[in-house]
Amino acid sequence: MNRRHLLAATGAAAATPFIRPAGAQTLVRASLRLKWLTQAQFAGFYVAHQKGYYRETGIDLTINPGGPNLLTENLVASGADTFGLSGGTDSVFAARERSLPIVCAGVMHQQTPFVFVARADGPIRTLADFRGKTITTWFTGANFVLLGMLAQAGLNRGDFTMQPQQVSVQPFVDRQIDVVTATRYNEFFTLMSRVGRENLRVFVPDDHGITFPRDTVIVSEQTARDRPQMVQGFLRATIRGWRDVLADNKAGVDAVMSVAPTLNRPHQEFMLVEAGKLMVAGGAARNGLFWIDRPVIQAAHDFFRQHEVIKTPLDLAAAFNSSFLEALPVADRMA
Amino acid sequence: MPKPPSPLLELRGLSKRFGAVQALDSFGLDVQPGEFVTVVGPSGCGKSTLFNIVAGLDEPDDGGILRFKGRGCHARELLGQVSFMPQRDLLLPWRNVVDNAILANEIEGANRREARAKALSMLPEFGLAGFESQYPHQLSGGMRQRVALMRTFLFERELMLLDEPFGALDALTRSMMQRWLLDVWQRHRRTILFITHDVDEAIFLGDRVVVMTARPGAVKLMREVNLPRPRAPELLTAPEFTAIKREVLDAIEEEAMKSFISGTGAAP
Amino acid sequence: MKPAAMAALRLLGGVILAGLVWEGAVVAFGIRPHLLPRLSDILTAIAFTPGAYWAGLQRTAAETLIGFAAGTAVGILNGLVFFRAPLLRDMLLPVFIVSQTIPVIAFGALVVMWFGNTLLAKAVIAFYLTFFPVTVNTLLGLNSVDPKQVALLRSFGATPRQILLRLQLPMALPQIFVALRLGASLSLVGAIVGEWFGDNTGIGVLLLQAMYNENVEALWAAILCAALLGTAFYALVAWAERRIVFWGVEQ
Repeated sequence: MNRRHLLAATGAAAATPFIRPAGAQTLVRASLRLKWLTQAQFAGFYVAHQKGYYRETGIDLTINPGGPNLLTENLVASGADTFGLSGGTDSVFAARERSLPIVCAGVMHQQTPFVFVARADGPIRTLADFRGKTITTWFTGANFVLLGMLAQAGLNRGDFTMQPQQVSVQPFVDRQIDVVTATRYNEFFTLMSRVGRENLRVFVPDDHGITFPRDTVIVSEQTARDRPQMVQGFLRATIRGWRDVLADNKAGVDAVMSVAPTLNRPHQEFMLVEAGKLMVAGGAARNGLFWIDRPVIQAAHDFFRQHEVIKTPLDLAAAFNSSFLEALPVADRMA
Repeated sequence: MPKPPSPLLELRGLSKRFGAVQALDSFGLDVQPGEFVTVVGPSGCGKSTLFNIVAGLDEPDDGGILRFKGRGCHARELLGQVSFMPQRDLLLPWRNVVDNAILANEIEGANRREARAKALSMLPEFGLAGFESQYPHQLSGGMRQRVALMRTFLFERELMLLDEPFGALDALTRSMMQRWLLDVWQRHRRTILFITHDVDEAIFLGDRVVVMTARPGAVKLMREVNLPRPRAPELLTAPEFTAIKREVLDAIEEEAMKSFISGTGAAP
Repeated sequence: MKPAAMAALRLLGGVILAGLVWEGAVVAFGIRPHLLPRLSDILTAIAFTPGAYWAGLQRTAAETLIGFAAGTAVGILNGLVFFRAPLLRDMLLPVFIVSQTIPVIAFGALVVMWFGNTLLAKAVIAFYLTFFPVTVNTLLGLNSVDPKQVALLRSFGATPRQILLRLQLPMALPQIFVALRLGASLSLVGAIVGEWFGDNTGIGVLLLQAMYNENVEALWAAILCAALLGTAFYALVAWAERRIVFWGVEQ
């Protein structure tokens, strides 16, 4: 090969990336960081990914599972991940108070996913019976739900013993503690299988006027400002995936188990049913999936202010941005 | 014996101080080509310091004279010029007998195949026939010592420095090794400077015995051993031998006493 | 029969015996499954989705091996440089020591920010746990070479390079292998911990999923895989040690 041919070949090689099939030209690489390990509670994202909904909106998406040592807000704020499914409204508050430049673009669970579980045959029948009892909970948000709920019954922090909850619910099963915290879709399944549903008494925060919407979709302020089209596209594809899942749970579980085959199928099926209930509850019934229910979020904010979890009032209009959702027709957002 | 005009090695007024310790003080010695000189002295008298200088590993203090092959030089110029065998065999455990024997040749850049062939041909002479592929940990102490000697002989230099090569061997093996060494030396005719603690060994092997003083090391006695060669074991009980031994022992005794007294602080 | 085949047969017999004792003990003493499930249930769990365990094993093995190889190479190089340049050693070794006091969990979170959920990120954590012991032991091994041995080679006219290659480095090998055996275990730990920072494949992912779903059989299945990989890798390093440092700790 002479020099001219070599140059021509090099030029052609360099040009190759630009000669792509039409339509794929605008594909943007992005990643979604989940708040937890791969599970059916995230089925909608996996279905949308596997069915190519993200590609159709121009996003080449990688789904990164979360885990016990990861904080989604940090990864999104630092730019390591484009989108994040963050812990909850309380996580958004905490991040905004720490001046992390993140914005919430949608809320997945309209109701509190936590419940507090006692023995049906035990001494706890009402909230007032929590007095003097030992309760384990997570100090990552669930503790405030508990405090808020018990405040309704006139109980304050010193009236009961609150301990950090470990990975396993076994201490409750072994009757070492009186009340255990459970997510409706995860620990509650384990409790049912080990103790039996009929032997459990469940206290639901939302029944006592405490609603903390959780599982928030977050992006960095920079993404929200510079690439609103991409955020809209992400939400459109995500909602499409979830609509499919809510219509066909089995396909949702299949999609998740193709990524994590060792999961327990009955548990995942149960989880998806429970997670689905949380998604379509409250404001979502009228305004569609991922709706940001401002009055509920305002109430949560005020509760945290009152308990001085948040030291200064936050600008909720800036922290929660509904414009991306509202750019999509309501009909497309309904479950 | 009439002295040839040019000694192989000349040391004059050689001194060496390590911090507060004067190891050598005005040491002087000439070694003629082909001569077998043995050095004895009390422990810590600076024998090893002397050897390190002649091997090129340590520089003497300024003021002394060091001449090799008639030419004045720094000690470091002697690195690679003399064939040095330390007290312990210091064989490399991952090399077999042949590869240990040719280590020095390999370092000076010799052709490895030729060096190996030469070593193989020398094995019987060193009592190692059939052991060429054995590793040091498979050999007895006497055999390891012979491998080390072979390494020293294969590194063909006019001057060989042997530092108590048989010190760690049992009496029987040692006397066999002494006779064997004389035999090999007589055939190869190298110049040998040989350190030992053993007075019998020094007289039996040497053309000349140098007795060193207690520290700081200097020459206490220089004794010609005008006994005929080849030497047989019976020589050890011959009156001529005993006479020399008496003389050497007296000198050593005197020095040993000095160092003992100064060591215990009994003398003023 | 060859001695090696006999040894393998004995090992197999031992493993089978241990399995039987396990199975029997769980049944005989009525041990509750969440404390210790029956071995047969664990093996059934593996047989149900063998692909997931096989893929996890391969992925974790790759991360471990890459991290270990890089840690070994850099560790030995560091040891050599520090040995030759004591000033550099005095400047950098304390920094290395401080770097090792960072808990691997905290380091893992950083690595995910830097490298994302890539195979490389896990290999970096495995590397981080491996290179330090190798550095220290290489330096230790080089420094422990008998000065008389060095003097002998010098007297033969050897250059510093010849002394390093023909004497010091081989002499340091037994000491280096001590670190490599340690590194074999640590690099696996590093790879598994690395997989705890959000990934889809690997033994660490299986461990985490099983643990947080309270799926005890899957947890033990993942533990068995980790043990299998760890044992195999350690045995490989030990085998290499016996072949390379065949003279043992003789000197």
